[in-house]
Amino acid sequence: MKKVITGNRAVAYGAMLSRPKVIAAYPITPQTTIVEYLASFCADGTLNAKFINVESEHSAMAACIGASATGVRTFTATSSHGLALMHEMLHVASFYRLPIVMANVNRSLGIWNIHSDQTDSLSQRDTGWLQFYCENNQEVLDTVIQAYKISEKVLLPSMVVLEAFVLSHTSEIVDIPESELVDSFLPEYNPPYRLDPDDPHTFGAGPIGPDYYFEFRYKAQMAMEDALIVAKQVDEEFKEVFGRGYGLIEKYKTEDAEVILVTSGTISSTSRLVIDERRKKGERVGMLKIRLFRPFPREEIREALQGAEKVAVVDRNISFGQGGIFAQEIKSALCNLSQKPPVYGFITGLGGRDVTPEIIHQIIDHTLATERPEEIIWMGVKR
Amino acid sequence: MTPQEKATTEPKRIIFEHEREMPPMVVSLGTVLFNKTGTWRYLRPIYEEKMSPCNNACPAGTNIQGFIHLIRERKFVEAWRLIKETNPLPGVCGRVCPHPCELECNRRKYDEAISIHALERLAADSAFNEEASEELRLPRRKERIAIVGSGPAGLSCAYFLAKEGYQVTVFEALSAVGGMLRVGIPKYRLPREVLDKEIANIEALGVSFKTNSKIQDIRELKDYDAVVVAIGAQKSRRLNIPGEDVAGVISGMEFLKEVNLDGKTQIGKNVIIIGGGNTAIDAARSALRLGAKSTLIYRRSREEMPAIEEEVEAASKEGVEIIYLASPTKIIAQAGRVSEVEFVKMRLGEPDETGRKRPIPIEGSEFTRQADTVIAALGEEADLSLLPKGLELSESGVNFDGMQVFGGGDVVTLAGRVVDAIASGRRTANAIVRYFQGGEPESKPVKKLVSFENINTAYFPHQAAVKPSELPLAERISSFAEINLSISVEDGVREAERCFSCGVCRQCDNCLNFCPEVAVSRRNSTYEINYDYCKGCGICATECPGNVISLVEEGR
Repeated sequence: MKKVITGNRAVAYGAMLSRPKVIAAYPITPQTTIVEYLASFCADGTLNAKFINVESEHSAMAACIGASATGVRTFTATSSHGLALMHEMLHVASFYRLPIVMANVNRSLGIWNIHSDQTDSLSQRDTGWLQFYCENNQEVLDTVIQAYKISEKVLLPSMVVLEAFVLSHTSEIVDIPESELVDSFLPEYNPPYRLDPDDPHTFGAGPIGPDYYFEFRYKAQMAMEDALIVAKQVDEEFKEVFGRGYGLIEKYKTEDAEVILVTSGTISSTSRLVIDERRKKGERVGMLKIRLFRPFPREEIREALQGAEKVAVVDRNISFGQGGIFAQEIKSALCNLSQKPPVYGFITGLGGRDVTPEIIHQIIDHTLATERPEEIIWMGVKR
Repeated sequence: MTPQEKATTEPKRIIFEHEREMPPMVVSLGTVLFNKTGTWRYLRPIYEEKMSPCNNACPAGTNIQGFIHLIRERKFVEAWRLIKETNPLPGVCGRVCPHPCELECNRRKYDEAISIHALERLAADSAFNEEASEELRLPRRKERIAIVGSGPAGLSCAYFLAKEGYQVTVFEALSAVGGMLRVGIPKYRLPREVLDKEIANIEALGVSFKTNSKIQDIRELKDYDAVVVAIGAQKSRRLNIPGEDVAGVISGMEFLKEVNLDGKTQIGKNVIIIGGGNTAIDAARSALRLGAKSTLIYRRSREEMPAIEEEVEAASKEGVEIIYLASPTKIIAQAGRVSEVEFVKMRLGEPDETGRKRPIPIEGSEFTRQADTVIAALGEEADLSLLPKGLELSESGVNFDGMQVFGGGDVVTLAGRVVDAIASGRRTANAIVRYFQGGEPESKPVKKLVSFENINTAYFPHQAAVKPSELPLAERISSFAEINLSISVEDGVREAERCFSCGVCRQCDNCLNFCPEVAVSRRNSTYEINYDYCKGCGICATECPGNVISLVEEGR
């Protein structure tokens, strides 16, 4: 059934269709309506889940960890400082290998700005969570469902990321899948181990010393590697069932491209428009959209970028003292290749500053016109 | 223990040689049943019911928290039965008791005290409506007991003796049973149907009442196996001023008796009442209802006034003029009848032996007020002329000339309140039971008292108390209709919900729900703690709304 809904509502539908048994969430702008929708689904019986009201995001994640350990599907959602407050628990969730799925609405950090910025989720890069960056509300809904299937196969938690207001509060047409279809796609969660008072085993309890900690970390990385394969399979399977697939990355007119823009989230839509205009003028410009950020699909990325003359990475985030985070990742993916294109790092749109087609044009112009790549190119900053 | 059991309850060390042998999740492969985490505990939570301040404050020792709990569960008649275990007159006390329990109620420090009196009344009225009755469970005994006086002490004593199976006869000098409840307390505070019903319930237990039977000398009752003197205090103190004996000067008790018993009295249009106790207030408000201008004069200030505060307030509201710090010096008569009273103004000095500030006349401050009736209500004392010389009454009883004589109520306590008389009557009844049957005196259970700080108020939203509505003022002062109206059943249940249940389990399941070790389980209406796994974190005690769970240090 097609509906015109916001990104937050798409998240709620995606979660509802995945039938979690426990939801624990704490409201924060711009995520709040996700919590409201889910709470009302639980209240009116649309969703048969226990909704746990908690006093903070840290507790929300802790509650999800406890619930997930008993072997049930769990969901939460947060944003910005809420995600930052969860940080400690994010490590716990992944160490315990609990396939919790969380939506994070990308919002700036550090001061009272509620607008789009990727630094909140990218700051959680090393917590052992899968991270998906979505471009539109349909992709948001579909990715929540996919994330459960992937996470539960590899036993790692997933973060589904959408942008503040640009998606969270903007309505689009979204095809809401039939629940029977989702049920057939996403079987019930059945973990190999679970907390059970009748057969008590410790779960994440007790010290794991140097004897085994190392091995657990090794196994987590192996699971991440597996996730690259599983995510691709699940996306293909999803496409067969629902008619929509996204890939781990999306290559747009990259085949013969001289300059390839690397984008994520909604900037990809804007870029696609600009690329079409430039192509009409005969310029060989393409785009690589990164959908899966963790695990980083480095082989696919290498393959896509290898032939380009120049790569321009568009980052709506910054790692202070270094630069755009996607740019670093792209550089690291390419650096061991003998033949590699130069990487231009563009920072733009921080704190919700609009990334307009003009900005994308300027990024392309700058890349074409500049011989030597630059580490940080500030686009649109008033200086 | 079989080897198999041992295998599942003993720790097992598993060494992994290769990461492939390890589970993906951080779980122990062996059971952890061997690990009795309760051994980590140094504080042990225990269920320990405690004393609620209301129960503690009730002179009759009524289980107030308990009957409120029953009301919360809509068990009104059971609530009534619980009250009756310590008080045979809930309908009366629900109306006239000054409820010292409410003064101590922990909820008072949060928002407002529970309207305990209104709930007691609701329980009693529900029992009346359902015509609930009590049955004697014990066989009749042969001992005959005479009780002199049918006031609250005599009624209480008779009730508890009858429930023990004794044959009780109550002698009442007046034409109707009830003592002060009938002749002292005005009908607007205590409708006579209520009193009649409670007396009928006592009579139904086999107590016989002999009215118009004034006992001049207790030796008239020497055929009884025990005699209880519970005649109360009804002899009014005199003014001791010139002119006191002229026509138009009457005592408070005399006046109230006429109004309450006969329904007729001869008072004028301008009545002065002298005194500050409940008799004075009752007289002033009754005079007002009979159409008189009613002025009450008290020699101390409002603060020292012994009358129930709410009654004083109600009197003022109804139009009784109250003059403080003045004392009568003489009654001035015209044609043999009172026409004026002379007063002197007073100031307060140092506290006297009663702890109240002593009133001292201010010289030259005399003033007069016109009056056609003066009611002197300076307090009452017991008239013990029925006792032989040398007999000292006590609740525990004395043997006199072959008779076993006990006292009950104001003749021994001088406490004055209905509830004190009821409590005393019960103590006397218990003493008589012990006299015949042996046994230890009843002692107050030793329980810790719950203070407001012990209550977890997070579980109690602020909510105003349910207060009974009152008859409109205009209707009040033109009749003797009952002022305080009943609260509805729904209001009663709502009010009972406000109760903190200090020290008593409400079975809220908080301990069970919050225990992080899942060490609490519920068995019917009680909880059990599995000390094998309780780590003594104390969350159960913290989250217990009513301080039922105590933490005690583990002995090592």
